[in-house]
Amino acid sequence: MPKKIPLVDTDIHERVQYQELLEYLDEPFKHYIQNCHWIQEKHMPYTQPSVAGVDRADAVIPDGRPAGSDLSFMQEQLLDDVGHKFGILTGALDPSPSSMHGWYEMAAALASAYNDWQIDKWLEKDERLYGSVHVAAQDRDEAVREIERVGSHPKMVQVLLPIDDIMWGDPYYHPVFEAAEKHNLMIGMHHNEPPVYYGKWPRYFIEWHTLIPTAHMKQVTNMIFNGVFEKFPNLGLMMIEGGFTFIPHMMWKMDQQFRDLRHEVPWLKRKPSDIMKKHVRFCTQPSEELSKKDFMSLLEQMGTDEMICFATDYPHWDYDSPHRALPNLDRELKEKIYGENAKKFYPKIPNSRERYDEGTSRL
Amino acid sequence: MMKEQVVCKTTDIQPGEMMESFFGKQNVLICRTPDGEFYAFMNQCNHQGAPLDKGMMCGATTEHSKPGEYHYCHKGEILRCPWHGREFDIKNEGRMLANPDKKLPSFKVRVEGVEVIIYK
Repeated sequence: MPKKIPLVDTDIHERVQYQELLEYLDEPFKHYIQNCHWIQEKHMPYTQPSVAGVDRADAVIPDGRPAGSDLSFMQEQLLDDVGHKFGILTGALDPSPSSMHGWYEMAAALASAYNDWQIDKWLEKDERLYGSVHVAAQDRDEAVREIERVGSHPKMVQVLLPIDDIMWGDPYYHPVFEAAEKHNLMIGMHHNEPPVYYGKWPRYFIEWHTLIPTAHMKQVTNMIFNGVFEKFPNLGLMMIEGGFTFIPHMMWKMDQQFRDLRHEVPWLKRKPSDIMKKHVRFCTQPSEELSKKDFMSLLEQMGTDEMICFATDYPHWDYDSPHRALPNLDRELKEKIYGENAKKFYPKIPNSRERYDEGTSRL
Repeated sequence: MMKEQVVCKTTDIQPGEMMESFFGKQNVLICRTPDGEFYAFMNQCNHQGAPLDKGMMCGATTEHSKPGEYHYCHKGEILRCPWHGREFDIKNEGRMLANPDKKLPSFKVRVEGVEVIIYK
């Protein structure tokens, strides 16, 4: 029986239902949902990718509610079954306040209600769960106020920003970074309705899903070259659900560009790949099926084994099993990728190396 | 290999300008910084071999810049490659600005009267 490894799952989707938000909403926003049956317009044009839409079919709640909407079912199917040490909630993105391009007041009210619901129904109900601050980033000052309001909650570990038409290195977002840094929050990127083609959707779901890393590459590149991590030295960026096999390419490309074009971004005090190594982390999911040899080769190309963090993406259809998604790695490396890297990254997650025989996964 | 050689006259290069010359068979670059000093390097970029005399001597943005705010100095003391634009600090041993661990091969220079002499 191998010793157990404490798992930190960096991408778990809890899901709210609109009716559940009512008790956390003020008027008139409550009225629009309760009496006018408002729901956010969503516009992904594709047929759903799997037998239960974007969810694992076996994660749909037995009473018919959508996957991810019930804590006890999630505990049973994921947290207890796998044996999670910690899990980070990243929202189900419906409603997704940041993707509302109008009615900012409603977006901001939804973000606040969502955060309160998340704290109340999840973070304070299971000690393993940590959360993400949702903001209506299109109203930047309101987003800062929301971070100030809930960012100090001991179980909020990051702020999620939208992939939209403002790149994240833009000074528009700097007050958000300042507020995040003040509260020891990292910035999280989870694709929501990513304009892979600058605001348009590719023709097929398979294209969109393949190209998600390109959206991640844009934001990492933009934040690094705009000097965000020089200006906010304690800020970190967690790239969620974009995979990790593109990392060496990015490091090589940015360093090469920096050698030629340094004069344009002289505020960088370190080479881009060193900034990435220190400030940016990548969730493994959705992982390509790599042999151990290929996986180790990739880590060698990155020059560090501390940049990637395991994630399941439960309960979505492209879930990565902690037991099967990655090749069987040596124990020390497993400890880093499945837990230590994330614990070192998020300052608000307890970072003591615990005994491996207590409440930990059977990896 | 010659030990020393006159490569040009001081009047051949105005401050802030540069020219190519030969040290034996070796193609070399003579730079004269705005303060009137002479420097000599191999006339070939250490990246992909571009002829450096076709580039320019200029200033550079510095690490004292803050995000979105440029600090620019060392006017005429930075050599920029004509191909990929890599920058080398003439007065700091030809070190590359983006990676000071790398530098252009250089030669010693002395001036005797109007003769610019480089030597190993």
